[in-house]
Amino acid sequence: MFVFIHRAVLASILAGGLAATPALAQTSKGDRELGQYLSSECVTCHQLSGKQSEGVPAIVGWPEDQFVAVMRAYKNRERENAVMRTIAGRLSQSDIEALAAYFGSLPKPAAP
Amino acid sequence: MIIDRRRLLVGSASLGAATLLAAPPVLGQAKPRVVVIGGGPGGATAAKYIAKDSKGAIEVTLVEPAKQFVTCFHSNLYLGGFRDLASITHSYDKLAANYGVKLNHQTARAIDRDKKEVVLEDGSRLPYDRLVVSPGIDLKYDSVPGWGREHEETMPHAWKAGPQTALLRKRLEAVPDGGLVVMIAPPNPYRCPPGPYERISMMAHVLKSAGKTKAKIVVIDAKETFSKQALFQEGWNKHYPGMVEWMGPKIHEGLKSVDPRTNTVVTGFETFKDAALVNVIPAQTAGRIALDSGLANQTGFCPILPENMKSASDPNIYVLGDATIAGDMPKSGFSANSQAKVAAMAIRGELTDARVFPARYANTCWSLLAPDDTVKIGGSYEAKDGRIAAVETFVSKTGETAELRKETQAENMGWYAGIIADVFT
Repeated sequence: MFVFIHRAVLASILAGGLAATPALAQTSKGDRELGQYLSSECVTCHQLSGKQSEGVPAIVGWPEDQFVAVMRAYKNRERENAVMRTIAGRLSQSDIEALAAYFGSLPKPAAP
Repeated sequence: MIIDRRRLLVGSASLGAATLLAAPPVLGQAKPRVVVIGGGPGGATAAKYIAKDSKGAIEVTLVEPAKQFVTCFHSNLYLGGFRDLASITHSYDKLAANYGVKLNHQTARAIDRDKKEVVLEDGSRLPYDRLVVSPGIDLKYDSVPGWGREHEETMPHAWKAGPQTALLRKRLEAVPDGGLVVMIAPPNPYRCPPGPYERISMMAHVLKSAGKTKAKIVVIDAKETFSKQALFQEGWNKHYPGMVEWMGPKIHEGLKSVDPRTNTVVTGFETFKDAALVNVIPAQTAGRIALDSGLANQTGFCPILPENMKSASDPNIYVLGDATIAGDMPKSGFSANSQAKVAAMAIRGELTDARVFPARYANTCWSLLAPDDTVKIGGSYEAKDGRIAAVETFVSKTGETAELRKETQAENMGWYAGIIADVFT
């Protein structure tokens, strides 16, 4: 689904020379492009491939509402972990939704 | 113009259909070129993110003499016997294979800022539209009286990971029970603020594990206080009682000289003779090329614009990592990786029509005190009042439970795997 829209947007850029890609934001509640930028902060620890490593869980392919709930819990200091509280602390609701949209759109890795 | 078009077509054809869709914004012009100097966590991350997110619209060349990179982070864990050297050694091959980053394994000799070219050691030149300078630190070999580059085999620094780190471990293993280890700890600012103290912990762990509990580690520090001090000192007292003696300048009254022939360290207060090992961590500056190119100020480090990591003195150059004056951010691999992503986004915004978002920086430094006893410090940062300022910071507390410390170590190991995947794959 996403690939289809992505290509369509790019095709419209090529055809009309549009600079912005507003249609991307319509694929989900969150701004996926913003989410992709914000995600660069997450993937210093959480692997984009969805691989879990020791104390750092996988965060790709989650349902968006679950992702938002967990991040809000860190932001509201209802969940422990100093790193996550600090990261979540400065994320707005739309930032969190953007991240949920981005990570939610990534495929989960196949079970080992 | 004809040549430019041909370059574009050749470049696009080789990168496949996906690239053809994501055409550069200005058709008919050559691809914009980015050169990155330095393949550490700053430079390699910048090269990857610019190449990956521009989907081939920007030509990225990474200039790094080494074929493999040994991370300074977790090199203390190698010293402590928790990792082998292979596990902290990483290739650049995937940056080329996965994202089309061009690897140039030469030393960058100079930057011709007027012509916007990097001069390589063989005399050839790499033109750039934007340049990323991420050279890490250089050691000030004249900052410790009696010690210089010619003494780094006898009194190793091991502050650039690789053969020096292996040498330090070999020398540490040879320290006898009852032997004396002296560390000369550097003045601010330097790479990895908690690094010397994690290293002391690992040295003590190696000695204790070998039953050499009569060995002693004396630390002659240039600073009165240091990162995570209460946590480290609590850890040393708990795990290595009587083995570590730390001295700030008020106690040692100044480092006067070292003598590599006799392994002697002379301070204003005391002379330490016949040390089994002296680890000299000297004062530091930005990497040579940053100094030679006029990117640094009188401090020896490079001022940057906090909103995007651009050099304060050249709009075509970005500087990353340990070489920079990054406000509240410490000099760490994590910081360099974080800064690189901000710079990569800004560069794509300048050279293509990519969206640019406000800079967000982050850092965390984990330090291992003893097996399964790890502490951390970190924060989030943003551009504010002309500098990079902390938004929120955190640090582990003294007296934490063993369970929490073990979880923190698992997080430390998971982070390492994560940042390596992020930088090198």
